[in-house]
Amino acid sequence: MKQLSITINGAKHEVLINEHEMLSTVIREKIGLTGTKIGCEQGSCGACTVLVNNEPVLSCITPAMRFNEASITTIEGISTDAKLHRLQQKFVDKGAVQCGFCTPGMVITALDFINKNPGASVDEIKDSLSGNVCRCTGYKKIIEAVSEYSKEGFSQDKNSATEEPVPAPENVVISTVGKSRPYIEAGKKVSGAAEYADDVRIKNTLHAKFLRSIYPHAKIESIDTTEAEKLPGVRAVATGKELPVKFGVLPISNDETAIAIDKVRYVGEVVAAVAADTEDIAKEAIKLIKVQYRRIKEFLTMDDSLKDVGENEKIHPEGKFNNNVHKKAELRFGNQAKGLEESDIVSKMEFEFEGVSHGFTEPHAATAWWDENGLTIITATQVPHYLHRALAKVMEVPLSRVRVIKPYVGGGFGGKGDPFPHEMIVAHLARKTGRPVKIRFSREEVFISNHGRHPSRMVLQLGAKKDGTLTALDADITIDGGAYGSFGVVTTYYNGVLLQAPYKLDNFGFRTFRVYTNKPQCGAMRGHGAVNSRFATESLIDDIAHKLKIDPVEMRMKNFLTPHTLTVGHYRITSNGSRESLMKVAEQSEWKSRHGNLEFGHGLGVGCGFFISGSALPIIWNELPQSVVHLKVDFDGRVVITSGASDIGQGSDTMLAMIVAEVLGISMEKIFVLAADTLLTPVDMGSYSSRVTFMAGNAAKDAAEKLCNEIIEAVAKAKNSAKEELNLVGERVFNNDKSIDLSWLEAIDILTANRGAVSISGKYISPKLGGDFKGAGAGLSPSYSFGACTAEVKVDLETGQVKILKVWGAHDCGKAINPMAVEGQLEGSWHMGIGQTLTEQMKYYEGLIMSNNFLDYKIPTSLDTPDIITNIIETNEPEGPFGAKECGEGALHPVIPAVANAIFDAVGVRIKKLPIMPEDILREMKLHKQAEMNPIL
Amino acid sequence: MMKKEKTYYKAQSVKDAIAKAAEHANDFRYLAGGTDVIVNQFQGNEDKNCLIDITGIEELEQIKSDEKKLKIGPLVKLDDLKENDIIRKKFPALIEAAHAVATPMLRKTATIGGNILCENRCIFYNQSAWWREAAGHCLKCNGDICIATGGKKACFSKFMSDTAPVLICYDAQIEVLDINGLQVFRLEDIYTGDGINPRSLSKTALIRSIMLPLDNTYQSVFKKLRPRESADFSSLTTAVSKNEQGRIKIALGGVDPKPVVAEGDSIALRDELILKVFKKSRVIDNDYYSRLYRRDMIRVFLEQSFDVLAAT
Repeated sequence: MKQLSITINGAKHEVLINEHEMLSTVIREKIGLTGTKIGCEQGSCGACTVLVNNEPVLSCITPAMRFNEASITTIEGISTDAKLHRLQQKFVDKGAVQCGFCTPGMVITALDFINKNPGASVDEIKDSLSGNVCRCTGYKKIIEAVSEYSKEGFSQDKNSATEEPVPAPENVVISTVGKSRPYIEAGKKVSGAAEYADDVRIKNTLHAKFLRSIYPHAKIESIDTTEAEKLPGVRAVATGKELPVKFGVLPISNDETAIAIDKVRYVGEVVAAVAADTEDIAKEAIKLIKVQYRRIKEFLTMDDSLKDVGENEKIHPEGKFNNNVHKKAELRFGNQAKGLEESDIVSKMEFEFEGVSHGFTEPHAATAWWDENGLTIITATQVPHYLHRALAKVMEVPLSRVRVIKPYVGGGFGGKGDPFPHEMIVAHLARKTGRPVKIRFSREEVFISNHGRHPSRMVLQLGAKKDGTLTALDADITIDGGAYGSFGVVTTYYNGVLLQAPYKLDNFGFRTFRVYTNKPQCGAMRGHGAVNSRFATESLIDDIAHKLKIDPVEMRMKNFLTPHTLTVGHYRITSNGSRESLMKVAEQSEWKSRHGNLEFGHGLGVGCGFFISGSALPIIWNELPQSVVHLKVDFDGRVVITSGASDIGQGSDTMLAMIVAEVLGISMEKIFVLAADTLLTPVDMGSYSSRVTFMAGNAAKDAAEKLCNEIIEAVAKAKNSAKEELNLVGERVFNNDKSIDLSWLEAIDILTANRGAVSISGKYISPKLGGDFKGAGAGLSPSYSFGACTAEVKVDLETGQVKILKVWGAHDCGKAINPMAVEGQLEGSWHMGIGQTLTEQMKYYEGLIMSNNFLDYKIPTSLDTPDIITNIIETNEPEGPFGAKECGEGALHPVIPAVANAIFDAVGVRIKKLPIMPEDILREMKLHKQAEMNPIL
Repeated sequence: MMKKEKTYYKAQSVKDAIAKAAEHANDFRYLAGGTDVIVNQFQGNEDKNCLIDITGIEELEQIKSDEKKLKIGPLVKLDDLKENDIIRKKFPALIEAAHAVATPMLRKTATIGGNILCENRCIFYNQSAWWREAAGHCLKCNGDICIATGGKKACFSKFMSDTAPVLICYDAQIEVLDINGLQVFRLEDIYTGDGINPRSLSKTALIRSIMLPLDNTYQSVFKKLRPRESADFSSLTTAVSKNEQGRIKIALGGVDPKPVVAEGDSIALRDELILKVFKKSRVIDNDYYSRLYRRDMIRVFLEQSFDVLAAT
């Protein structure tokens, strides 16, 4: 240990540190400034960037001892007065902040760069930020924010951009919905004040570490924890037998225990856990646990898992058949055979997809403790409600003894949507030790936990008439689920059912097998289930259009479902902006003149898609509404929204506030959002299936309308007026002749007189939908979103490298409650899709994840992200809140096929594998050339 | 259980650093930028108890020149090379290569000396200790088999420096100091080709300077293959130069445990030289891209590079 003397944000600190301690640890753990984030611990994500003597430094890979006597500026010290720094304010104003986890590093990197390169160009800014990973924004709004800051100059005297909110003038309509505004918590995120799960500090906390399996499939013969328990500072060691109750997000696949019992099913599965005074002690203790394994035959490929296992042990012994198939789903509508037979052309292709990961920038973290109220856990989760249920089950305590609190969450995209073993384990260790226990994952552990998109393989056949009318679609799909169920049964259906739109198909069917393999489990990821099969379908349409010499845009236009119709599988389509979306991107990309006409190597492609706007059915069957929102108004006139909806960076807290503000005609300043705490907030199913704006938004609207009514009724009664004559607009309650004209606060005084605070509950229940056949529930949603993309690419003819020059995207979100937030969701989706298209893949060696860090798992950097042209299409969804529907997932679907189809346009080869590797392009080009030269072959 | 104490020493001079290193024999690491060393420590690829930080040694930070030589201090940061007029004018490919390393942030910390001494990498080696145990230890981590090839004899971890191939093409020499004094090497001569011990420098050796000749002029082409335009280590780095006398030098990175070098008297030997480095490169499947693709790209990159040189 040595004494380190440093000045941080102007304050001098003397700290005693381990000589190899990283600067980030000192800043976060010793000084307590948690605005500096830890995303990878290997210098590959940029979240930990701080300034040391005015030079940017990656604090997670720099020993603190290097900087004795140095002056350090963290995100907390960027602004010198009470206001945000002008660049921080730009991030806020431009919507450059979503989950906010990359933001501190991004702001510091950008600030340093612009200060040293005033007036830098957009290209230079892109380059300068290319070491900072952002998974939410697609970098677009970040680059805009930095560019504007750069353009406006950076002198401190201009640091006055933070304008005080102007109070609304009397009787002016306050309109909130439809106007872009920053997230309500953006200031907190951009200044490093927002607390994420790893920033939570509960006194007397122990630290947990896990021992993980080194084999994909092995019996645990014995575990000896004696040595670990003897290590000073170790407070508890836990093994699987202590937590025997199985859980899983779906009731039909509760197939996982918190810690492996008897056998392990993937490399990385937790085998034992330690809680100790420090992380280092816990790490040491883990090394002292001895496990005897006996390896049994492992199943690492889909082919292996489809086969009869013979004498070998299945991954999950339950299940009817002697193979590792987890779920088979099959649905058929119309007459596919006849449809295909009557087609003038049938295109059939086989496709292959690697798994991909959510890549959220915040690693999982959780702190749990027990007190007189039972269990409390603060954890980075998308679904407090399902975690609440799972914890009660696994801990074997009543539901009333579990409290789940969601702090700020650094992105999810489906990857924080399951109850996780680590959440059960810290709860258990906390109970065992009587102290709070914390876990934070390394980036490697995040990848080991996976739950990402399923690797899949599929054969699709699509038939069409000569004029391009689609006649039949068939899909035969296998998806690799990994070792456990997760959302997999839903994924199994979604791969098929979500092909029945956006095109009219009278003859349609699919069969999907989900197999267990001895790999980390797959689950739900943005665009859940249908991303890969959408890619396949859009590739087939492109192929048929090409062969029929029909414009692929026109062919799609010809086949779109109309608004207000039923699909062949009984989906009720309401609003439908497919046509408008496609028209928009075709027009902007000058499709007509350019597609098919660009020089060899340069191409333009198109893709379309659609997605559910919230699953109409709950995961756990019950009669609860999908969303409930409470409003409370007290003497101070503030409206408190309590909602179980989880804001994970997508802006749902802001959305709720905007909806309530709009209905009540009050300003956002009078609203406070309290969300995602299962003790305080009513049940909401959580952030998955793109449901929050539609469902929680509708519940908020319902509650606000009821509150509005109560206020008016109270005033009418007090003033002897008919309530029909009263208006609640612009923070005033008045009648037309103004004989009654009360301020908001005066009206609230009347409302609360002799009654006190008023609480109102609003809810959303999905209408009954769907057919009466088995499986009819899959993919049912009260409404669907639609969208289209075109993409322009250049393919290097010698290296096969693809450069995406530009993406035009359009997405029908019904109505954009907060257009800036919607744009952010769309841009993030397209960026994520581009990653899956070209560079991202979960690579395994013998079941062991190889791409387990941000160097080897290749999320596109700011330099790899093309210009994106964003279009919001509004169709006014009749059942959505103010006409809104989803925008967070569906947009991802069309971009991947748009790029692949652009590659076809560029070089005439169709790549049926994701990610698209340059060598595949070169090989296909070579084969194509040979075939052209020698047509008989 | 007593663990050896971890120490951090900020060296005041080259002599001081070397003395400290000698004292700690097998249990130290020099730390310049540290962007690779620290990550390797984090992953448990190395577990040295003594870190000797040399970044405070001023004489190693400077760029000096006389009529014959440019002497680049090993602590010059990759991002700062572009500030030097001579480098910009005479050795532009070095700036390109430096700019192609890692990310902007890392380039502000990483040094030129650190880059040319950058530890070889392999997808089966640059993993956590737990991971390597699960995979079965490879040759480079004291195991008895190369996972990438299945072979038992040789480790093919990749030589990763992007700047070294360029420096080699510019006929760089390095001045090396260790307990035995000063020695000068051609840069290419310090690389062994053994993936486990890829450099032949003695344990206490420190680079004093990287020397580039100013009495010749070079035309040069640099190329790097990587999946993304930032962040990624090289899947293939190529550098080709032509000096005043028309002599050609090729150096490749990312395709062998050492830089693959070939020289010839004239550009007329183009095909022969390409074939030579192509044959010398021991490319294996330990990268994001397949072995065959990287092999093919050697030719593509070199043909393109020669086309550029032929045109100038």
